[in-house]
Amino acid sequence: MIALRVNGTEHTVDADPDMPLLWVVRDLIGLTGTKYGCGEALCGACVVHLDGEAVRACVTPISKAAGRSVTTIEGLSKDGNHPLQKAWVELGVPQCGYCQSGQIMSAAALLAKKPKPTNAEIDTSLAGNICRCGTYTRIRAAVRVAAGLPKEE
Amino acid sequence: MADPEARSKALFMEAAKVLTHPRCVNCHPHDDQPRQRDRAEAHNPPVVRGPDNHGVPALACGSCHQDRNLDHARVPGAPDWHLAPIEMAWLGRTPAAICAQIKDPKRNGGKTLAQIADHTAHDKLVGWGWNPGADRQPAPGSQERFGALVAAWIETGAACPAEEKPQ
Amino acid sequence: MVARVADVSMRRRSFLQGLGLVAGGLTLGLLDEAEALAAPPAKAGAKAAGAPEGLSPNPFVHVSPAGEVVVVCQRSEMGQGVRSSLHVVIADELGADLARVRVVQAEGDKKYGDQNTDGSRSVRNDWVKLRQMGAMARTQLVAVAATRWRVPATECVARDHAVWHDRSKRTLGFGELAVDAGKLRVPDVKKIQLRPRSELRHVGTELPLRDGPDIVTGRGQFGADVKLPGMLVAVVERPPVVGGKVATFDATKALAVKGVRKVVELPTPQGAPAFQPRGGVAVIADHTWAAMRGRAALSITWDHGPNEIYDSDAYREQILSSVRAPGQVMRKVGDVDKAFAEAARTLEAEYYLPHLAHAAMEPPAALASFKDGACEVWATTQNPQAARTEVARALGIGEDKVKVNVTLVGGGFGRKSKADFVSEAALLSREAQAPVRVQWTREDDIRHDYFHTVSAQSLKVALDKDGKVTAWRHRTAFPPIPSTFDATQKRPSEGELGQGVLDLPLAIPNVQAEAGEAPAHVRIGWLRSVCNIFHGFAIGTFVDEVAHARGQDPRATWLDILGPARNLTPEEAGVKKIPNYGTPIADHPVEVGGLRNVIEKVTELSGWEAKRKAGQALGLSAHRSFLTSVAVVASAKRGKDGKPVIDEVWIVADAGLIVNAERVRSQLEGAVIFGMSVLFHGAITMRKGAVEQTNFRDYPVMRIGEAPRRIHVHVVPSEARPGGVGEPGVPPVAPAIANALFALDGTRHRQLPLSAKRPG
Repeated sequence: MIALRVNGTEHTVDADPDMPLLWVVRDLIGLTGTKYGCGEALCGACVVHLDGEAVRACVTPISKAAGRSVTTIEGLSKDGNHPLQKAWVELGVPQCGYCQSGQIMSAAALLAKKPKPTNAEIDTSLAGNICRCGTYTRIRAAVRVAAGLPKEE
Repeated sequence: MADPEARSKALFMEAAKVLTHPRCVNCHPHDDQPRQRDRAEAHNPPVVRGPDNHGVPALACGSCHQDRNLDHARVPGAPDWHLAPIEMAWLGRTPAAICAQIKDPKRNGGKTLAQIADHTAHDKLVGWGWNPGADRQPAPGSQERFGALVAAWIETGAACPAEEKPQ
Repeated sequence: MVARVADVSMRRRSFLQGLGLVAGGLTLGLLDEAEALAAPPAKAGAKAAGAPEGLSPNPFVHVSPAGEVVVVCQRSEMGQGVRSSLHVVIADELGADLARVRVVQAEGDKKYGDQNTDGSRSVRNDWVKLRQMGAMARTQLVAVAATRWRVPATECVARDHAVWHDRSKRTLGFGELAVDAGKLRVPDVKKIQLRPRSELRHVGTELPLRDGPDIVTGRGQFGADVKLPGMLVAVVERPPVVGGKVATFDATKALAVKGVRKVVELPTPQGAPAFQPRGGVAVIADHTWAAMRGRAALSITWDHGPNEIYDSDAYREQILSSVRAPGQVMRKVGDVDKAFAEAARTLEAEYYLPHLAHAAMEPPAALASFKDGACEVWATTQNPQAARTEVARALGIGEDKVKVNVTLVGGGFGRKSKADFVSEAALLSREAQAPVRVQWTREDDIRHDYFHTVSAQSLKVALDKDGKVTAWRHRTAFPPIPSTFDATQKRPSEGELGQGVLDLPLAIPNVQAEAGEAPAHVRIGWLRSVCNIFHGFAIGTFVDEVAHARGQDPRATWLDILGPARNLTPEEAGVKKIPNYGTPIADHPVEVGGLRNVIEKVTELSGWEAKRKAGQALGLSAHRSFLTSVAVVASAKRGKDGKPVIDEVWIVADAGLIVNAERVRSQLEGAVIFGMSVLFHGAITMRKGAVEQTNFRDYPVMRIGEAPRRIHVHVVPSEARPGGVGEPGVPPVAPAIANALFALDGTRHRQLPLSAKRPG
């Protein structure tokens, strides 16, 4: 049995230590906001925070999360009122929406360390998150708006 | 080999087969982008070095790379996965140039030769080169042999080979 | 078995409520589309058993006594914004307050008419129908109010969720009228009055993203997010070669994986692939990870079948040879051969574009629960009716025993019109005697797609001594989509040639289009804008080449080749019929003026002339598809590292009337990025009949750092019949950028992608 805290709630799961955090969160704990996109750390759909740091849940063995604190998109804010979530809605960023929880979790990790990022910094920090619908220009703008910057650099 | 300097140079050339191997130079780039596979392809996803050689926020090396290889995801891993500092860049350089760098504390991470011998023989990230996982070609020999070569090179005076003539 | 922490029964209930499928929410209209539109009025007071109280004149709209208006979204939401757009058409026609309108997602049912969400058809096909649905309800509400007030119905108006008699300053809310209105005879749809366009207040405006708050909090439910009590998860190893099958397999090691319940061989498909599951071996387990590990432990030998010969290098030569020889003539005006013989000079170029995978961010996933001879499915599907048909067929049960619920679709692009993965879930649920979710991995998605076809084209023009184009010949060869349904189909079909070849306006006296043979060895499907991708690329690049050969501004060459504003006729085009995306040209003509206009507009907005004079590298292309004309200008620069960067893109579209200006803009922005993936990244290649690529490592798509600094979108204001929006933005993007790259460094790109990745 492995104990971890997810979005502030303690969970104990019966899982193989190699089982990726992604499947623990989705299949065992039942939080489906974190998405499977590639299973190989290539697309970023599964980004969550582990003790505040962005990690790809699809390649994070649950053993690594033991005794630590995980934040998923469901736990990023109480009522969807994180500045990024608000900016995402205000600017109509999502199209299909599947990648967006990972995009937002990456962006939140960026803003935690760089409250006023440049476009170049947004691009390098979000380089691991693919959006096939092509919402990238709006993602950039929404990160800037959430950071209190003008929409365009 | 009778001449210790010649012997030292020869030892370094043998060690250089490891130092210039893709498993090693891919993470010793001269720019901000690690490489992949056997022909110095750009790392995909396009990660960057970051201020401390461990990536940038939301895309740190450790965001994907674990302390061991993940065969199910083909993601290579070893403890403290990160890029070598840019002054230790080896990618595209000759053995002679790399040799000079390794002996220069300003370009070898401030290490003494003894510390270099220890690092090559025991560092776990260095050791990954012989256990790269998936279908990656390992560096030649073993870490033990590589460590012994470097130690012998240091013992014989740590002589550097001459710059090769351009072919 | 692993304990699940979540309360799955609660989750299921809230999901059903979310879709309005728990009693009390959704109208249960019984009319199918044809009846709803054309049948005589239904019997007064007729109502299905258990139908909710209130007004339900048709399957699309329900007004409750509390005044809530429930509108059904019968198309699938996959990012194009139907759930933020279609209900507004009904609500505006009805006169409803959008704040009091609830949207519910339709299950797959013919009563809704066409639900197949592809072909950029939701608005262009349903615009009138949706208005009629809203107008039916409005007519009934107004009739009740008029009767109560004893005034003529013509003096009453419906607006702001109420009916008003302005002269006597009386008003009754929709809710107060709903029950009585529901007792009235349903009005004849042919006789109801639609509102003047000016009264449709929200149509054409920037409408809010309804699912936005759910998506940014992780609450939106996609195909893999639905759970049922006792649910198992299956991962399937499918034959690597299409037409192949399992020879032998050993499940011993797979069954030893903790959490694996069962290993099952799926039936081998018979005949043409169509929408059948691919067969193979399924591992059914307690959770996804166990199923994946179990699959990795399977030992299978395959009988690959005849498609093992498929090799992309050899095939490329084969279809290039096909366009180097005369093909079947599909379009003919004048005599191109004579014109070539008499030309001052000719120009010829060949183009080759590879297979592409859809690679939507959400890999296919479906949950099925087979019980007591009936099957309920939750799936990320673009085509729930086809899914229903396929599931019924796979299980050998009637369609009335199959229910298909539609989740949010995490990107479709045409892949999720095909129900192969849904039938897999149904078959495995029956086998496991439990609800089963089939989860495709990214590798499955890349390797077992219905691929966008590989294509070769040859274009040739004759120029007279003044540089005037006197002949145009377009040869195209590609394995056609119909081959997926009928193995004897080996040449491009008329419908596929209607995507840019037969319908291209050409003010050129001699024109010929030919289709070359290209047998298929994989399942060919449709991918966002379909054959317009490669036809638009070749035409858009070749016009630029002609301009360069003439030493002329490409804009002038475009306008010269298209000719004056007019409607293209089949006679002028030299074809029996212009397929026109299933719409008669009388209703929606090929307006050359529209195409000219978007070219003029995009060059104006981008500062084409001034920037070119200043030495900036700009590229232009234009294309009409799905009844919409789009033109693109791209600006290329050198980045810090010396590599080309696409700095800015301008895209101008004339899509006729639009419903949601905000989602139209986002679709066009997305089309730019999608088109850039086509140009720079995607390529599926085959060796020994199997796909070489596996994941985003070797099938890369655009990432944020490559996205242009700015994408400027302009939509031509129009009240003309709506055209498509989801797809038409894509075709002109790749050629416009390729032309910009030519302007930057003089390299002409005729083969895609530009940064080909080999697997590994």
